Amino acid sequence: MLTLLRDLRRLRRELDLPHAPGRSLALRHVDAGSCNGCEHELTLMSSPYYDLQRFGLGIVASPRHADVLLVTGAITSRMREPLLVAYEAMPEPRRVAALGDCALGCNLLGTADNLVGPLETVIPVDLRIPGCPPTPDAIAEALLGLIDGSRLNL
Amino acid sequence: VNVESYREQIAAALGDGWRFAGLHASSDGSLVRTLLARATGAMRLETVATAEGAVPSIVDLAPAAGWDEREAHDLHGVTFVGHEPLRPLVDHEAPLERWTVPVRGHDAFQIAVGPIHAGVIESGHFRFHVVGERILHLDARLFYKHRGLERASEGRTLDEAIAFVSRACAGCAVTNGVAYAHACEDALGLVSTPELARARTILLELERMWNHLNDIAATCAGVGLAAGNNSFAALTERARRLNGTLTGHRFLFGSIRVGGSDLTLGPDAVRAAREEVASLRVDSSRSWRELLFNASFQDRLPDIGVVGAPEGARLGAVGPAARAAGVAEDVRAGSPRLAYDGFAPVVPRRAAGDVQARVEQRALELLQTFDLLETLFDRPVGPAAAEPRAQERPIGVGRVESPRGATSCIVERRHDRVERLRLRTGSYANWPVVAYAATDNLLPDFPLINKSFELCYACADR
Repeated sequence: MLTLLRDLRRLRRELDLPHAPGRSLALRHVDAGSCNGCEHELTLMSSPYYDLQRFGLGIVASPRHADVLLVTGAITSRMREPLLVAYEAMPEPRRVAALGDCALGCNLLGTADNLVGPLETVIPVDLRIPGCPPTPDAIAEALLGLIDGSRLNL
Repeated sequence: VNVESYREQIAAALGDGWRFAGLHASSDGSLVRTLLARATGAMRLETVATAEGAVPSIVDLAPAAGWDEREAHDLHGVTFVGHEPLRPLVDHEAPLERWTVPVRGHDAFQIAVGPIHAGVIESGHFRFHVVGERILHLDARLFYKHRGLERASEGRTLDEAIAFVSRACAGCAVTNGVAYAHACEDALGLVSTPELARARTILLELERMWNHLNDIAATCAGVGLAAGNNSFAALTERARRLNGTLTGHRFLFGSIRVGGSDLTLGPDAVRAAREEVASLRVDSSRSWRELLFNASFQDRLPDIGVVGAPEGARLGAVGPAARAAGVAEDVRAGSPRLAYDGFAPVVPRRAAGDVQARVEQRALELLQTFDLLETLFDRPVGPAAAEPRAQERPIGVGRVESPRGATSCIVERRHDRVERLRLRTGSYANWPVVAYAATDNLLPDFPLINKSFELCYACADR
């Protein structure tokens, strides 16, 4: 087994394979009133075609374990409180990513009394990922930018 | 009908083979309309005027009307006399005791789950009443994602308002769009041409294909079988890529409009699509066979989350959930506006109405969808328009089979604008069935039971 691992490491060095950044981010997703499109694409991020875990990006079960809050959807009045509770539960430092056009406040559909507006009116947003819904490629690119700090529009 | 004879009319219709298919209040709450449908595709709408904001309830005649009446009360202020207690559904202001069923007894306690869940899941709240790990009762509180889409569509032109139904839900965007387009065309006296029917049927079956592949993947995820989840997730990705290639959008957004279709697929595009569908059939059949021979997976599925045919019919189960219990009904079999000539619904051999039957139902329906798509892709697709050949009416109805069951859309119009829009999706119809299916099962089996239905929250909440 040890010989195998040593051989693998040597092969890797010789082939000069691309290296993932030696860091990781734990993501917590909150659906604050989406059409489920962003969720469907986010689910496929862990499928064999994308397999985001290999880059150190994983979805965690609790905001307590999360570095990034990934929020989808037009923020509905009924989801405002749960969203704030999840945000408050996160340890510092924390980042917020608005995933999809709805969370960015673009082309929102609904009545004024049921929506509270774009995510940034509720909590500060660090990363914006546009698209309706963003393709898995676009989500991957944005999140990988977040991991090496290049895409952090603070 | 008048208030006095309303209940008698509904009771007589239900006794005569009509099924409850939806109920809604008009925008000002002055009218209540009940949609009835037959398995053959026939539909009728019974309208009753409210008297001082009240009408008699029909929930005892058609328990499937439970959610519809509660919604009409919360959103339009209609009181349903005899629906006791009329629990809040969309209204989240009410205290816990008002919206949950009281469950008492030795060691009975509640487990509250959501609205935010542990995985990548839509928001909704489940309140389990349990003793130990056994579920005595489940109160599901949805509508956290209620955006007021129906209300927001009022006053929009018929062409604009399609956004409010198709953007209600990514999983059912085509179905909702076609149901809406059919409702508008019904009201405008427009009839589908064979070419229009073909274009829309292609889009509907593309939507069903990725959804059913996704649903099987989700069930594998529900038992923690990574291999099955991965192989079906990869197939889902391929189906969505095909959507993107054919229409420019992975969820087929923007592909449906009122009065016609702009879908254009040349000879090369349909040939490539046909080959990909054939290849997906081979690969999904292989992955399905692997699941059939995976004993630890199969061992989890039978005899849990059982909904038999009679209970399903009473609660208004539709789609794969109803067919898995042996009810061979599918809106596609009676859809003259679409290209489903000769379509016959399938049911599993062991139609037990449990998780196993519901998963197998998806696999069986996938084969039908592959067949349909391979036939529909036999020649290029061009733009098509509906033809004015029928009487114009102030109200139109459309009913389409979504991946989750019968979806109906009712459009009341004033000239070319929406006066009231009601969308009742397969997910909306099936949510009360999920709560029923959970009863008497073990709590750790709930995710699996839930995944075997794989309902959308988005198009139920709207």
